[in-house]
Amino acid sequence: MKELIRQYIDQGISRRKLMTGLSAVGLSTVAAKSIAQSLAPVAGVVPTSPPAGAMREMKGTGGALFVQQLKAAGVEYIFFNPSTGDAPIYDALVDEPAIHLVKGVQEGAVVAMADGYARASGKTAVVVVPNIGLPNAMTQMVNTFKDRIPLLVVVAAFGQDQLGRDGPQDYEHQEVMVQPITKWYWQANSAAGIPETTRRALKFAATAPAGPVFLAIPDNLLRMEATATIMDQALFDVPMRLRPDAKDVEAVARLLIEAKNPMMSIGDEVTLAHGEAEALELAELLGLPVAGQAEFGTWSKPFPTRSPLYLGTVLATMRFPGQIDVHLNLGNQYGEKAAPGKKLISIRRDPTSLARVTPVDMGIVADPKLAAADLVAAVKSIATKERLKQIADDRGGRVRTYTKGMWDLRGKIAQDLSDGAPIRMERLGVELEKGLEKDTLYVADVDSGKTLEPFMGFGGADKTYIGTGPNVLGWGMAGGFGAKLAHPDKPVVAVVGDGSFLFSGPAPLWSIARYKAPITVMVLNNQSYNNERNRIWTFGGGAQFKTGRDMTCYNGSPDVDFTKTAAAYGVEGETVKEPGQIQAALARAKAANVDGRPYFLEFHIQRDGVGAASEWHPPLSIASLRTRKV
Amino acid sequence: MRRFILIGAAAALVLVAAPLAAQPVVQLPEGEGRDVVATACSQCHALTAITQLRQGEQAWRYQVYDMVLRGAQIAPSEIDGTVKYLAASFGPGVPFPGPPAAPVTLPDGAGKELVEGGCALCHGLDRVVAAKRSKGEWNGIVKRMVFFGAPLAPDQATTIAAYLDSKFGAD
Ligand code: HEC
Ligand code: HEC
Ligand SMILES: Cc1ncc(C[n+]2csc(CCOP(=O)(O)OP(=O)(O)O)c2C)c(N)n1
Ligand SMILES: [Mg+2]
Repeated sequence: MKELIRQYIDQGISRRKLMTGLSAVGLSTVAAKSIAQSLAPVAGVVPTSPPAGAMREMKGTGGALFVQQLKAAGVEYIFFNPSTGDAPIYDALVDEPAIHLVKGVQEGAVVAMADGYARASGKTAVVVVPNIGLPNAMTQMVNTFKDRIPLLVVVAAFGQDQLGRDGPQDYEHQEVMVQPITKWYWQANSAAGIPETTRRALKFAATAPAGPVFLAIPDNLLRMEATATIMDQALFDVPMRLRPDAKDVEAVARLLIEAKNPMMSIGDEVTLAHGEAEALELAELLGLPVAGQAEFGTWSKPFPTRSPLYLGTVLATMRFPGQIDVHLNLGNQYGEKAAPGKKLISIRRDPTSLARVTPVDMGIVADPKLAAADLVAAVKSIATKERLKQIADDRGGRVRTYTKGMWDLRGKIAQDLSDGAPIRMERLGVELEKGLEKDTLYVADVDSGKTLEPFMGFGGADKTYIGTGPNVLGWGMAGGFGAKLAHPDKPVVAVVGDGSFLFSGPAPLWSIARYKAPITVMVLNNQSYNNERNRIWTFGGGAQFKTGRDMTCYNGSPDVDFTKTAAAYGVEGETVKEPGQIQAALARAKAANVDGRPYFLEFHIQRDGVGAASEWHPPLSIASLRTRKV
Repeated sequence: MRRFILIGAAAALVLVAAPLAAQPVVQLPEGEGRDVVATACSQCHALTAITQLRQGEQAWRYQVYDMVLRGAQIAPSEIDGTVKYLAASFGPGVPFPGPPAAPVTLPDGAGKELVEGGCALCHGLDRVVAAKRSKGEWNGIVKRMVFFGAPLAPDQATTIAAYLDSKFGAD
């Protein structure tokens, strides 16, 4: 029998011959069939013609066809959690060194790892998860969707002949479930069509404005052998490097030069288009004050926050620079703020969100990087060097005075608020600014954390900020892992709240430990949904505020020991309770990272804002509900 | 000159599910610093966030600091004036908005009068007795109220915490 099997594997004999042989040695037909099936060529890839440049025909299982098309798209990683049905994909990876598997132990973590990787690398990330785990994945897909991050999510769906029979794990048409949070969703309907469908999905995911795309592949198609053509994905790229119309550019350039009190706002689309340097050059050329991200809804900091031109948050009315006459919004989804007497120009990659809510005087759909570069060239061609210097000095001088004053004020605030335990957010901000390397990728998923960020430098030659716009929590640790995978040579910290940690649970730590990701996880533990409570009490002013009864947000009792959780995954770390201990702890974290090990820091943080002192929570004890001690 | 300036909440924070666009119009009392509050504090939330609170100068200072870190545009030279205005307009003893607080009869004990005198300046005593709290929590709350501006000497604060723990303590 052994000899028979060897001959079959070496393709010396046909499957029929193998079956006959197995029956001859006494196996039932069913048993023989099952052995023959289990011996089908592992990777299933049998090229039928030699690779010919950008296209090649190949024969293989649906799973193998899928994998080879990913390879032809330059995909290096598949973020996954396995199911029985998608096994042909993993079978096809047994002998495929070009693609690495990165496992997550909860689908939300899988998507967040992929999302962090895509944000940090700019590449489309690929996720394969079990169909029954898709709803877990969807929570984090909201972040990906709202922030226009390229992602392909694949599940092995129920086999076509099984669909609709109300099988235990069959919920029909799972693909429509993702409709509101994907750019496109599809169910593959033939094995031979898998490469083409995959190309289409990857193309939709990556074409700006990018986003998640969902593909269900019935498991019988993944197992089925078929012949299809694999094509270089580059042949399907849609370059969205749209140059703005030259006339528009000239008009905007003139407005910016002539303006009495102009301002620029800048947003995530600049990050996505890698237009940071061009935007900075434009601002410096014209001495434009720059408002950055909104209080909520944005995920990156593309303009150097330490630049003397940087004002901070973009607001509906800006007390500084005051009455604005020309407002250029460059790639900020929340930057379009109309006001009487102001000319609002918005340059956006995403036509669906340009002028979606606010009336815009001049809307331009263009790549923000190219637009900024063209504006720089146009401005230089219209005004002399001397005039531009004059403008930049005049306007820039005023902005500098303002921003210096605000940095000084923050310095004073930090001094006033620096002491005491638990640690204050503001103090932690100052300490992180001191302790973190300039090239750190700072991955943030913490709500109150917004008050430590103004003490730190981001953008330009400074730290890179990566968060999520919609703040769907539970993203941060996995997001940090993904960022490190994209940039192994940069220091990475993942900063999460206690609430955020508990949303993902410790699941991301599993991947961090398994793949030896030398990042530092920081949990800012205030035993509270701190800002949630602030907003509930503040903006509602309802019965919870009036009675001082916090019905929902206190997270203590149990007082979770997060550092112990990390230890359970073999991730070393420590709990930092006093501000004086922060620097030494950061140094130990750095040493571990340098040595190739992850490190975990739990900071005990002061609750802040309304109701901060309250530890009361609605009492309910199940033990005391019992009438029997069982 | 008009006595009040009227401000509607122009921009609502998108993150909050409640329909904040329907926030009420708020009246700000006169005083130096009113214009700063009216223009620098109204972009992100309704001014009711401010007018419903009662706290002293130090607490208002920290509050303004917090808002500066969140993006409020107040020049350093305006901070002191703004804080003074807020403390004078929305400080302890200034009647708080809404219907009068439900009357509360406190049980007898050492500290009862201190609570009646020191704990009803910024909100009703109903808020004080609304929930049973652990000893540590009462200590924390009384400390916080002193930070807010409750006019209590340290030994008075200790007496109050002990009183509240004995009468309204949770195990
Ligand atoms: C850039 C947006 C923004 C501006 C401008 C702003 N706030 Fe706030 N404010 C917030 C947010 C967000 C909260 C929610 C609570 C929190 O997160 O602390 C808040 C909450 C508050 C609270 C409730 C207490 C608390 O901490 O939760 C008060 C009081 C307050 N703000 C006062 C002010 C004052 C006074 C000003 C002007 C100096 C101001 N705000 C300007 C964003 C802003
Ligand atoms: C100077 C104003 C002020 C005084 C005086 C004051 N409080 Fe408060 N109190 C507040 C404010 C403001 C809040 C709501 C915001 C907060 O709690 O952070 C509050 C809330 C509370 C709450 C609800 C729980 C909580 O943390 O919000 C309790 C209980 C309370 N106070 C008890 C007391 C007691 C007891 C005293 C007397 C020792 C007192 N208060 C005196 C301002 C005051
Ligand atoms: C997945 C998810 N569920 C619920 C929320 C609603 N939410 C917004 S902020 C917040 C509390 C966050 O707590 P934590 O991470 O500890 O931050 P803190 O405000 O305490 O700094 C919650 C629950 C959310 N944003 N995401
Ligand atoms: Mg928290």
